[in-house]
Amino acid sequence: MNEQHPNGTTTARQQQGGVSFTQARGNGQALAASRAMISMRGLDFYYGSNHALKNISIDLPERRVTGLIGPSGCGKSTLLRVLNRMYDLYPGQRATGEVLLDGQNIIAPGTDTNVLRSRVGMVFQKPTPFPMSVFENVAFGVKLHENLDRAAMETRVEDSLRRVALWAEVKDRLRAPAAALSGGQQQRLCIARTIATRPEVILLDEPTSALDPISTARIEELLDELKVEFTIAIVTHNLQQAARCADQVAFFYMGELVEVASADRLFTAPREKRTQDYITGRFG
Amino acid sequence: MSSNDPRRIVRSYEQELNQLRAMMARMGGMVESQTANALAGVLNRDGEAAQLAMEQDPDVDAVEREVEGRAIRMLALRAPMAQDLREIVSALKVTSDLERIGDYAANIAKRSLRIGTGDAGLSLGALRNMGRLVQEGLRLAIDALSQNDEAKAIEVWHSDKAVDELYNSMFRELITYMMEDPRNITSCTHLLFIAKNLERIGDHCTNIAEQVHYSVTGELLPAARPRGAPAQDRAYGTEPDATEEGLEG
Repeated sequence: MNEQHPNGTTTARQQQGGVSFTQARGNGQALAASRAMISMRGLDFYYGSNHALKNISIDLPERRVTGLIGPSGCGKSTLLRVLNRMYDLYPGQRATGEVLLDGQNIIAPGTDTNVLRSRVGMVFQKPTPFPMSVFENVAFGVKLHENLDRAAMETRVEDSLRRVALWAEVKDRLRAPAAALSGGQQQRLCIARTIATRPEVILLDEPTSALDPISTARIEELLDELKVEFTIAIVTHNLQQAARCADQVAFFYMGELVEVASADRLFTAPREKRTQDYITGRFG
Repeated sequence: MSSNDPRRIVRSYEQELNQLRAMMARMGGMVESQTANALAGVLNRDGEAAQLAMEQDPDVDAVEREVEGRAIRMLALRAPMAQDLREIVSALKVTSDLERIGDYAANIAKRSLRIGTGDAGLSLGALRNMGRLVQEGLRLAIDALSQNDEAKAIEVWHSDKAVDELYNSMFRELITYMMEDPRNITSCTHLLFIAKNLERIGDHCTNIAEQVHYSVTGELLPAARPRGAPAQDRAYGTEPDATEEGLEG
């Protein structure tokens, strides 16, 4: 690029109140305006001797959807497991660095993981309804953290089911086993169960990969509504889904965070060659 | 796309993109030759060349439709992203710029046949210069397109100013001829429209350059590009703004 670069000519126009494409583009502004709900700084994670996440620093902006993409084994699901300390259940797995939730390092010893998991909820790839009724599935998590009377619990369950657009479909069979619901309904039930405990952050690990396109569209629509209230991180192998749902997208490769940018920036003009290669289908 | 890129996993996708690139290059070549023929029609009084330029137009239109069909198909079936997405969207826009250039070339050819032999006395010097500049710009724009060459794109983008300025001076010159002798009006009007068509071809070349720049870098060039000052003269009034002129014009 030489000094003739035309970008120099924008100055006058910008001074007149024109907005350049790069300024207007995307939700970079919106992302910057949102405070970080979770801040990771120099996060490393090990499965025994396997260094699965390498020096990750990224913010999850409050009330925004962050999409995590990358080939299998790149560390994106591991990152979700760190955020609600699921790895605690397994010996030999450890995280170092900082994961700040409201300024508190949640991977430090002494964190109450029960409280943490009520604040940071998780939804998995395959719907995981408990072997109990629809109603009990939603009420189950709430009972662990709160003591609600019968009426309050009924309100909470109904409210949660309404928010995932499942109420109309299940209100007449709240006592029926959850396993009798369709796959898409089961997944929405799991999301209802997660939001019933009123978390601040929702983690979704490929929540639609086992669902048909209509159920997938319902979940995506739901994410759009839920982000008004919750901070969301979603792992997905479906790049179009990340493009549709996420405000911010992070690309991981072999345990490294390669690039993080607003979704439209990352999918139209990524800065890193590895990102470009991955999203244009050049390696896996 | 540089050649050191790893191979795509889906090879048919790569093939489709290559076919699209080849089609764009072919269309560029067609339009270049059409423009050269049209200019030969005017400047060398070559009726055969002019005829050829007019006959080439339907072929250019056909390639445009083919490019559009393929690009839309790829958008639907491949869900392209990043550079691929930019390249396909740019192809869609560039193909319509090329098609317009073809229309202008055909239009120039058609008018060249209407300028009577008795008008040979008119100076074609300015038009010759303009034609040369526009042809150079077009060649450079098509090179930039087929080589994904951002530097060439920027060069085209800056060079159109000279075409605008030449057009403006031709506008004044031709009006002077018309005022001198009303019998010049018919041929001068044809020449004026030819100059206008050339000027529009130059504009479409800068559009192509802008698309190439976006496709390669992911950044849009600013909306305001360098232009020659509008032709304004108290005695003659202001040059009417460029209007899209069809073949019938």
